[in-house]
Amino acid sequence: MERLPQTFLKISTGVTTVPVMADEKAELTIWSPSDKEAIETWWEEKIAEWNEANPDIQVKREAIDRSDSYAYDNKIATAQTSNDLPDIFFVDGPQVSYYAANGITVPLDDYFTEEDKADFVDSAITQNTYDGKLYAIGATESSVAFYYNKDYLKECGVDVEDLDSRTVENPITWSEFAEIAEKCTTDEYVGAHIIMDHGEGLPYALEPMYLSAGKDYISEDGKEADGYVNSEEAVKTTSFLADLIAKGYANIEPIQDEFLNGACATMIGGSWDASLLEESAEFDWGVTYYPVNDDTKEAVSPCGDWSAAVSKDCENVDAAGQFLSWLMNTDNVASYAAAIAKPATRVSAYDTEAMADYKEGPRALFKEQLENTAVPRPRTPSYATFSSAYAEAMTNIFSDASSNEEVDEDYIQSELDTVAETFTEDYETYYAE
Amino acid sequence: MANTKKLSGRKRDERITAYAFVAPAVILLIAFLVVPMIYTVYFSGFKYQIMRPDAMKFIGLENYQKLFSDKNFWIALKNTVYFTVLVVPFQCALALGLALLVSKKFRGVSIFRTMYFSPQLTSMVVISVLWTVLYNANPNTGLINSILTSLGMDPIKFLSDADTAMNSIIFMSAWQGAGYQMMIFLAGLQGIPKDQYEAASVDGANKFKQFLYITIPGLKGTIKYVIMITMIQAMKLFTQPYIMTQGGPKNSTKTLVYYIYTQGFQKGNFGYACSIAAVFFVIVVTMSMAMKKVTAATD
Repeated sequence: MERLPQTFLKISTGVTTVPVMADEKAELTIWSPSDKEAIETWWEEKIAEWNEANPDIQVKREAIDRSDSYAYDNKIATAQTSNDLPDIFFVDGPQVSYYAANGITVPLDDYFTEEDKADFVDSAITQNTYDGKLYAIGATESSVAFYYNKDYLKECGVDVEDLDSRTVENPITWSEFAEIAEKCTTDEYVGAHIIMDHGEGLPYALEPMYLSAGKDYISEDGKEADGYVNSEEAVKTTSFLADLIAKGYANIEPIQDEFLNGACATMIGGSWDASLLEESAEFDWGVTYYPVNDDTKEAVSPCGDWSAAVSKDCENVDAAGQFLSWLMNTDNVASYAAAIAKPATRVSAYDTEAMADYKEGPRALFKEQLENTAVPRPRTPSYATFSSAYAEAMTNIFSDASSNEEVDEDYIQSELDTVAETFTEDYETYYAE
Repeated sequence: MANTKKLSGRKRDERITAYAFVAPAVILLIAFLVVPMIYTVYFSGFKYQIMRPDAMKFIGLENYQKLFSDKNFWIALKNTVYFTVLVVPFQCALALGLALLVSKKFRGVSIFRTMYFSPQLTSMVVISVLWTVLYNANPNTGLINSILTSLGMDPIKFLSDADTAMNSIIFMSAWQGAGYQMMIFLAGLQGIPKDQYEAASVDGANKFKQFLYITIPGLKGTIKYVIMITMIQAMKLFTQPYIMTQGGPKNSTKTLVYYIYTQGFQKGNFGYACSIAAVFFVIVVTMSMAMKKVTAATD
């Protein structure tokens, strides 16, 4: 009875699964989000290079528009229902567990040696591993840190030299962050910018605050959110963020590139923002380490980026594995990371000419965070549900703080309880044994 | 006898021709409307995670039981009804007003007709992005708040305040949609014989009385049609909350179609999303039939 719809869908979409004979030419299709011109060019060159050297495994790529935070994942979900998944698709770090747990992707351990894996930063391998198996592999990582407009901060009397001198062992605390935000909030400026994308950006950029306060969103085994995302520590951390909004130190509706456009004094921003600021900022700016909790002083930073996975519908997994093994070699990882202006996942990539600018300055700081303080997002098959529930709750909490100009801890508790309930319901319904 | 045979042969040919003409439409309707509807009802009886069709499990009416105790479903239904109840009269009145204005013959009237209709020619996604910027709470960015603050008023958090978000969406939706209904009203107005106005004028009826006793009765059929299509469109509200507010703040713009989307595609609860879709279908059909009955009673 349950097979009937799938049979219909297969017939209606014309999908059949014909095994590829050993002597036949394999054709692989890759889906990855469309990106800036440098990356699109990188893909064209690399695919042409591979196709020329491997006439028996031909590869083509489809760039998928990523119009909002969850649109690309929705495309994958829709493709899955109609059996239209490509051979290889890129997936955001925390979604690796979701796809792996649902049997949408296949393990890649056979195509990456232990020596290979040891060359990748720990955070990248951890994020892409589910149930002890490697399900995805990526060329780049990401990080988040505290950016500040030096010119404006000096005008406001903030000790910029002190910020410049901070190290990974001695980052600023969240109280210091709030003091700076307060000092720098005027009619023209808000003191701080928090990633406000109403989507995955929120759990991604804010998770280290919760970890530094002592509790992650979800238990380490990925099974429980109750007592974690709605814990006392989490409520306190969320209240701190809501207070920034209530006091008007951060905008609930920030303009595009608020920091770059000189509308805010500081920003909790991504490693990808550095290149944009280098190209376009008309003021002197600096970046220091992700702030830490005042009590624990534990340094934690976000990480994770898009990785390639092989779908269950791939008819020639070996060919896909070989291709990915080549695509993720040191030189390709280095040139991709340089083109997309993100830190590389392979340690050996940093020795190449392409990554020379990671020796000092903002990029060296992000690399240092990745090597020392990066913690991947929770690895749980219910991450997609958690992410959208958390983003919705935070949007509600910020809206409440903005409207009432004060923080209501009971409301925060109730919203975070809803996140925990939503996660638990999803996990219990589909994944609990 | 031969003549009868000939006639029935012609009748048969006509019937075949008629079937041939309607066949493409019927096939497309079956493939893209009837079959998906049957599947929606079918899937609503299953625990079905979108990524795990192989693990589908029949659970009978459980999804429906869950739905009726799901506070988010009731919030979404309430928001959808609120939007429909406000936007339908507002948009229809605006459209009729515009139609009356541009039905006059004066120089440059076609420019006004084009202007009022032009939002219809633009994608709702583009319009939504544009209005998100117009509504921005920061006066340095949001044009409307920039005007308000220059007049000495406080800026309004149009989209980030739960009390104003839905009303803001209603206003922009009516602005976007009124042009289409205006064109329908315009066609209706042109169908009212001019001599009726001339006779009323001779009898001393002023413009308002002419509108009340000639225009409105003359447009009765058009008004019914416009209200019906606007209501059905309003019930399907999705793009504006998806682009402008993501259903927030505080669920104030979460509509039924948006809720179906988030349940089905963001959270992967495909079976549950299908049960909401099935109930939504029943609600829309019921409301349409009720509306048809109400308007029939006024004839």
